[in-house]
Amino acid sequence: MSTTVTEVVPPARPGTLKILLREPAAAVSLAVVVLVILAALLAPWIAPYDPFDTDLMAVMQPPGEGAYLLGTDGQGRDMLSRMLHGLRVTLAMGALSLGIGGVIGVAMGFAAAYYRRIDGLLMRLADIMLSFPAILFGLAIAAIFGPGVTAVVIALAVATIPLMARIARSTALVVLGLDYIEAARAQGMGDARLIWRHLMPNCASPILVFATLRFGQVILLGSALSFLGLGAQPPIAELGAMAAQGRTFLFFAPHISVIPAIGIFVVVLAFNVLGDALRDALDPRLRI
Amino acid sequence: MSALLEVENLTKHYPVKKGIVLARQVGTVRAVDGVSFRIERGETLAIVGESGCGKSTTARLVLRLIEPTGGTVRFDGLEVSGAALRTLRRRVQVVFQDPYASLNPRLRVADTIAEPMEVHGIGTAESRAARVKELLGLVGLAPFHAQRYPHEFSGGQRQRIGIARALAVQPELIICDEPVSALDVSIQAQVVNLLKDLQRRFGLSYLFIAHDLAVVHHMADRVAVMYLGQIVETAPKRAIFDAPMHPYTRALLSAIPHPDPRRRGMVKPIGGDVPSPMNPPSGCRFHTRCPFAQDRCKAEMPELRDLAPGHRVACHFAETLPAHISVAENGMSPVASQRLALYAAAKARKALQAG
Repeated sequence: MSTTVTEVVPPARPGTLKILLREPAAAVSLAVVVLVILAALLAPWIAPYDPFDTDLMAVMQPPGEGAYLLGTDGQGRDMLSRMLHGLRVTLAMGALSLGIGGVIGVAMGFAAAYYRRIDGLLMRLADIMLSFPAILFGLAIAAIFGPGVTAVVIALAVATIPLMARIARSTALVVLGLDYIEAARAQGMGDARLIWRHLMPNCASPILVFATLRFGQVILLGSALSFLGLGAQPPIAELGAMAAQGRTFLFFAPHISVIPAIGIFVVVLAFNVLGDALRDALDPRLRI
Repeated sequence: MSALLEVENLTKHYPVKKGIVLARQVGTVRAVDGVSFRIERGETLAIVGESGCGKSTTARLVLRLIEPTGGTVRFDGLEVSGAALRTLRRRVQVVFQDPYASLNPRLRVADTIAEPMEVHGIGTAESRAARVKELLGLVGLAPFHAQRYPHEFSGGQRQRIGIARALAVQPELIICDEPVSALDVSIQAQVVNLLKDLQRRFGLSYLFIAHDLAVVHHMADRVAVMYLGQIVETAPKRAIFDAPMHPYTRALLSAIPHPDPRRRGMVKPIGGDVPSPMNPPSGCRFHTRCPFAQDRCKAEMPELRDLAPGHRVACHFAETLPAHISVAENGMSPVASQRLALYAAAKARKALQAG
């Protein structure tokens, strides 16, 4: 060939993160999420006090007074330290239940899409699981195993499985209908390799978006279960449990309930906004 | 010597079920109903027909992407099943219609092309990389394209990548499922010519699924016309285009779009729709739309009969039909001729550039 081909460098496409940061709300929510996760991870080092130390000389201190930035609760424990440690428990609870429920749910969804014989069975199973509200699950599991963080994690994981399974199944069904899957089959590729190399990477975006949105919901549900006394038990600091403990002092020391409640609100809102923004950013039509 | 591919009485019936828990079968879709053909080495057999006639299903049955209900596929004399399937997976490759859906968007071009070699354990990582470069050159792409992702390419380029992938394991037969119908006409010419070049160089055989008769005229050695899951006529290309014997083949040829308004009225398009393959007409499946249908056609299914060397027709009255009126001088519409001229021009240009 006498023709020479020179490389034409195409204009660099913006990455997902760059597209995400175009939207101010998304940037703010991402910053909040990162900040919250950092605060939770670093809680033992950045908390000014031990979250269980009581100072009976300074009970129910309002925020900003004395040595306590966010005040103290009914037992004179530092609210800021309890918030940081509470965030840790709340996020860990959410991450663990989402992780367990997500892995099982995605496996179930892929299995249903790939092996059509068991599709009906798996999806009816998911329907049965969907018909129980998460709170009811929490009550049942707390009744069996006794209340505690473990009960909440199990309940939320079980409640997440059918949702993840449905998302994974529908996404996988679309991808499995595409020609490159047929091409891989025509090459004689085995099931495991085909799922790992062709199916999973192309199903990742919708599952990631749903996981982000679900994380907010799981935290809200986990806090609700703790608020009802089924989750974290005293003296463990957990945002929902803290809000519940402050109820009795609501009229003369509202900050004890309100601060954890605001914490839950901010975390859930940040994950929801981030999930929405992620859905937009991962849309290939916006990649210009 | 036996043919490279022999397909006999290939059948695919899909059960139609009703009911949610206790599903019972209420009917059968006869997608492919007793199709037989053979492909010799170095030959191109084109299967043409309307959408829904079963041509893509036939391709997938030959590839064993779906299990046939009945019939046999013999590749190089060996019936395809079990261990022979593994050989088939290497020696028969496929090029798909939609260049946008046939490449995994998350894999670099190099990985896509090297994949069949990996699956069959051919070569080392280095030798595969070298082969990828070689293949890219063969299909008219540049070595630096290997590191790019599919979305950075045009439809024609993607189809070239798909062809490179098919060539990677040195197959003997390539099944092309409408390989150019999703491309622009000018790009079609390039891809069709590329396929022809590769056939000459490597002695490839093609099973070419198409609905575009201009492309078929350019590519095929022999043509099989399908209607409702059955082959109604098969003949060398010349015979199909110059002297079609089955009324359906004639209808297909005259349905090629035509820019000449004076032609209106000269050609009567066949009326009606393709009947449902779930409930195909009795006797000859074409009798509901055939302008020459008689009572016998409703009662008796015509067999494929040899009417000339290599020319088989499934019509009771093939011999007695009125002579076929060629649409244009050479049996093709001027549009088709123009398209062919375009292909030839593209080829000449390429030869000039190469030389």
